[in-house]
Parts: sequence; C-alpha cells; structure tokens
Amino acid sequence: MERLYFEDFSPGAIAEYGATDVTAEAIVDFARQFDPQPFHLDEEAARETMTGGLIASGWHTAAMLMRMNCDGFLGATAAQGSPGVEELDWKKPVRPGDRLSVRRTVLGARASSSRPAIGVVEFLFEVLNQERETVMTQKGVIFIRRRAAEGGEA
Amino acid sequence: MIALFYEDHSVGQLSQIGSHRFTREAILDFARAWDPQPFHLDDAAAAASLFGRLCASGWHTASVCMRLMIDHRAAHRAAAAAHGEALPPLGVGAGIRDLRWLSPVYPEDVIAYSIEIVSMRETRKPQWGLIGIHARGAVEGGRDVLSYFSQALVARRMG
Repeated sequence: MERLYFEDFSPGAIAEYGATDVTAEAIVDFARQFDPQPFHLDEEAARETMTGGLIASGWHTAAMLMRMNCDGFLGATAAQGSPGVEELDWKKPVRPGDRLSVRRTVLGARASSSRPAIGVVEFLFEVLNQERETVMTQKGVIFIRRRAAEGGEA
Repeated sequence: MIALFYEDHSVGQLSQIGSHRFTREAILDFARAWDPQPFHLDDAAAAASLFGRLCASGWHTASVCMRLMIDHRAAHRAAAAAHGEALPPLGVGAGIRDLRWLSPVYPEDVIAYSIEIVSMRETRKPQWGLIGIHARGAVEGGRDVLSYFSQALVARRMG
C-alpha cells in the first residue's frame, strides 16, 4: 500500500470516500455500550421522544467517521494520532437505512514546532447521507510524519 | 446531568460522574471496530509511534464519558421516579467544542470523569433550556486525559 505523508496533504484538496450502511441493529449495539438513551435503543420508545424515531448516538456517528477515515486514507498514511477536535456538530439525525460517506477538505498544513519529524494537518470532515445532506461536521488536526524524516526517503 | 430540570442546575456545579478501567481487551475491541490504527492494535507498532505504547482510541475515551453521564443521570431519574415525581422528557446534544485528548489512555488505566455546568440559557422553545458543560477525564490522582465542552437541551419545569 502506498504510504501517504504530510507532504501529500495540500490545503484546499478535497476527497470523498466511504459507504457505511447504518442499521437499527448497529445503532442499538453502540447505544447499549456507550449511550443507552431511549431514542438510541428502541424504535417504539424513540417514537415518543423529541427525535420521533430511532436515531444513532452522535458518538456512534463520530465512530463511524473515524472508521471511514481509517479505511479511506489513514490506513495508508503515516498518521500519528490527533491532539483533538476543535468542533464537532450534529446537524441532522442519522437513522436506520441511511448510507453515510465522507467529504474531506484539507484546511491547513504546518510543521510541528516541537517535533521536526511531524507535520500538523487540519481537516474538515463532512459526513453526508444518501441524500447528500450533511449529518455531522468535524474540524480537527491529525499529526502526520514528514516524508523526509522517514527512513531517509526523498 | 446532575438534575432533572433545567431550573435545578446552576453554573459552577461540579459532579464526579464515575470511573472506568480501560482493559486491554476493551481497548482492542473498540479499535478493531472503529479506529484500527496500528498504535491502538499492536504493541510493536505502538512502541514505534509517538504514543510509546498501545493506547485507547480517543473516541473510546470520549464514548465512555457519555456512558457515565447517562448512567449518572439515569440514577437521578430513578430516584425521582421512586419519589413519585413525573420525569421530564430527555433532550439531545447539539455539538462539541475543544475536544482535547491531553495524554494517552493505556491498558489498565482507571479514568475518573467529571462534569461542570459552565453556562445556562433559555431557548426560543419554552419547554427547553440549553446547558453548557465541561467534561473532563483524568487518571485517578494523575494526568488529565480528556477535556471537552458540549451543550445539551434540558427540559424546563413548566408552570
């Protein structure tokens, strides 16, 4: 697999990837572990709540984005984790039957002041549903190794 | 949340919501499902990474915080219901700001979580108030690992 380094992420670049089918079973599984509220656990109980039906936990959607990022590019990238996420917004409910994908925009790229081998790439991730509606946005940075620093590669 | 209704909260309220031990097995399970990066899955790869050794996905650390918040609130709701109080409807969260993974969570770390009410405001809908919280996680007696700010709708006490 071709390795991607800091230098491969140019500000302004946009990429699209991912196709996660959201099932009621997956929504309930995640919720039982991490977010056991009625609107994430049971279709019938959810109808009585402000969401009007079963919806995915926002943390489940964040986890699905992380997985799509791993499969979509991080698995082939010399990534070194993230110090955090500036903004995470849940724009629309994610419901059973939705198919989610990701639009990734590189917002900025800079050298790390403390670690010369590492670059800091700022990303905007927009999670889209099958209607191309934005259901979640996330803005944050990922540490990525610089090419020159890895095994003396050019 | 600490209390049932918007009006029962006040800015500055701090609650310890519980502690959680991150087992190696749970760290691996979460990473396999949601965040299969080498430093969450493999000791040798983790040793060569910035983390130094195998550590939990930050989304795992944050998701456990959500779970403890829900359990904390559920205990309050159950106590109120036992006293015959009518329970208010549950609101949903709107978003997160400044989510920081301040240091790695390693296998067998026990993380203590807390939430502090940092803002309160009414909304255009008379039945809902908006409460801002600061959530934090730290190794018991040690380093901070998680910090974020979030806002959630909480039912108001109607007439």
